[in-house]
Amino acid sequence: MGMGTRKWLALVLVLALVIVPLVGCAAPEETDTEETVTEEPKEPYRIGAVLSLTGTYAGLGAPEKNTLDMEVARINADGGVDGHPIEIVYEDDATDAAKAQAAVVRLIEQEGVIAVIGATGTGGTMAMRADIERAQVPQVSVAGGTVITSTFSKWVFQTPWSNSLVVPFTLDYLKDKGIKKIALITDTGGFGADGLAVLQAQAAKAGMTIVASETFNPGDTDMTAQLTKIKASDAEAVVLWSAGKEAAIVAKNMQQLNMQIPLFGSHGNARTEFIEGAGAAAEGFKFAAGKILIPETYGEDTLSYTVATDFKERYTAAYGKGPDTFAGHAYDALYIITNAIGDLDEGFTPSDLRDQIEKTDSFVGIGGVFTYSAENHNGLDASDLVMYEVKDGKWVLAE
Amino acid sequence: MGSAELLQYVVAGFKSGAIYALVALGFTLVYGSTGIINFAQGEFFMLGGVLSVFYYRLGLPLLLAALAGVVTTAGVGLAFERLALRPRRDAGALVLIIITIGGSMVMKSLTRHIFGPDEATLPEFTPGPSIAFGGVAIERQALWLWGLTIVAVLALTWLYRKTRFGRAMRACSLSHDAARLMGIDTARVVMVSFGLAAALGALAGLAVTPLTQTAWDVGATAGMKGFAAAILGGLGNPVASVIGGLVLGLLESLSVAFLSSTYKDAIALIVLLIVLFLRPQGLIGRARREKV
Repeated sequence: MGMGTRKWLALVLVLALVIVPLVGCAAPEETDTEETVTEEPKEPYRIGAVLSLTGTYAGLGAPEKNTLDMEVARINADGGVDGHPIEIVYEDDATDAAKAQAAVVRLIEQEGVIAVIGATGTGGTMAMRADIERAQVPQVSVAGGTVITSTFSKWVFQTPWSNSLVVPFTLDYLKDKGIKKIALITDTGGFGADGLAVLQAQAAKAGMTIVASETFNPGDTDMTAQLTKIKASDAEAVVLWSAGKEAAIVAKNMQQLNMQIPLFGSHGNARTEFIEGAGAAAEGFKFAAGKILIPETYGEDTLSYTVATDFKERYTAAYGKGPDTFAGHAYDALYIITNAIGDLDEGFTPSDLRDQIEKTDSFVGIGGVFTYSAENHNGLDASDLVMYEVKDGKWVLAE
Repeated sequence: MGSAELLQYVVAGFKSGAIYALVALGFTLVYGSTGIINFAQGEFFMLGGVLSVFYYRLGLPLLLAALAGVVTTAGVGLAFERLALRPRRDAGALVLIIITIGGSMVMKSLTRHIFGPDEATLPEFTPGPSIAFGGVAIERQALWLWGLTIVAVLALTWLYRKTRFGRAMRACSLSHDAARLMGIDTARVVMVSFGLAAALGALAGLAVTPLTQTAWDVGATAGMKGFAAAILGGLGNPVASVIGGLVLGLLESLSVAFLSSTYKDAIALIVLLIVLFLRPQGLIGRARREKV
């Protein structure tokens, strides 16, 4: 082997090292924050964000980061909060709970953040708890697991609708349609397992019988076998709880097996990629989610509508596609924190910030209208949800 | 359980099984000429889907997009062998295997950065409702998968048995030194088998995309299942790899039918372990006798 090969290798390596960061950052970084600050800037407020920018939940972490980038630039362009610019310190947890825990330690110990947004996933969010409580820094999670707020911590808040909110809403809808026997198909990941537990706990309360319960693993490519089993049961509807791309496969396999009973999903399926992936099989798919998908559902004369359409327009202009629900969760988390900071006097501590976040009252966000209390750190209720249906490849309001 | 229902489980098993089989063939190809396990095989599967989607979105017709996806992936396979593996080809199998693991990580991360994190899909090759056959529903795309598997295994068997290049590959698998002494350009054989394995993986990845969508992270699962299938059937033999894939798919599907979907992967894994225990050479593979 001559030097030629070595040089080639070195060149490729160098190219890779140069190109990767360029490609990775090229898209959203147009917003420089410094230019409009007129007076001498005060010290920035540093907020940590632990997001899944790689790994299974990369499709969720990306819109979350997009949103934080965009909104922080906007806040700072308006002069920051009480004259202090906001600075977000990002950490990528690679959809790995252990990395989320390490990231939060770094944010608290080395970066000195006053609050933490994240993690993207329920597993990561829960893994951070011990360090959050030890350091006494408020955390606003953008993950949907029920456990995040049902296993209560004084320091942890949550912006998405939790499964304990969405499951009863969905079951009530099914009951109204006269459905009494349901089959469940859930993934074995955090979101699916959390949903399954809540479904099993709530079904009887809603007068439902679970006649079949099947699972699949993230990464599985075919659910025909599970659905064949469900087809042989006397279920009147299938309820699917999964936030991954496997959801589209379930819809397609059902169509393939010519199953006539309706399929219900969850807010985890509120992504255009689901409709693209399932194609014609997505028609008639119903799921409960917040109102951002169709801002008109807020009611056109409401403040929520104004906030959501404004956000939707700006996000679409910046990133070339509309915001999904995950973008909304990040929006809500950021403004819940910055609003609380704005209500505090200079020199507050993270503990003061926590107290102030808990006093959040009727904050009009994207996910709904938030009111936290000493007992409720989720802050949303069923009135923030609507049932959607896929029709002609688009979301419409279900009847 | 009615016979139609049972047959539906078998169809489901063979559908997954065909995917595993196509990936397993890639493992077998590289093993056949180098004696190493290429852990980047799953990423070739991923690249086939992601790149075809990329070309399709550029406006190429489906057939051309698929072809371009396969050719680009084959190019990646060739480049990977030439730039990453060949410089260390005398370092021993373990080093090479670890290089393939590193290569898979690089391919995966680069894809994530270049093409983004979201899943994407391709249209079905021949769109239409699934075909009903004696109370069993069969997707049209599944027929494509089976067809591709049959064509791939026939082509590979022909390549191994009937062509000069195939004999050269087999010679390489026995001993690189001896093959070189016989005038075989072993470096070229190894490089071409990587290119072929990449093309095969890409073909599988893009044929599955209309059913399952694709994304930068689908390679790991595909690689794991394909590897298990290749081991189950017997490494180095194309027919054995395909049988390994189909058996693995069937095992998973029947575990769902008769036991529980929660344990299907565990059951498939246990069977794999039992087979390895009783027949280390795989279900079909012949034990390799070391001659002194």
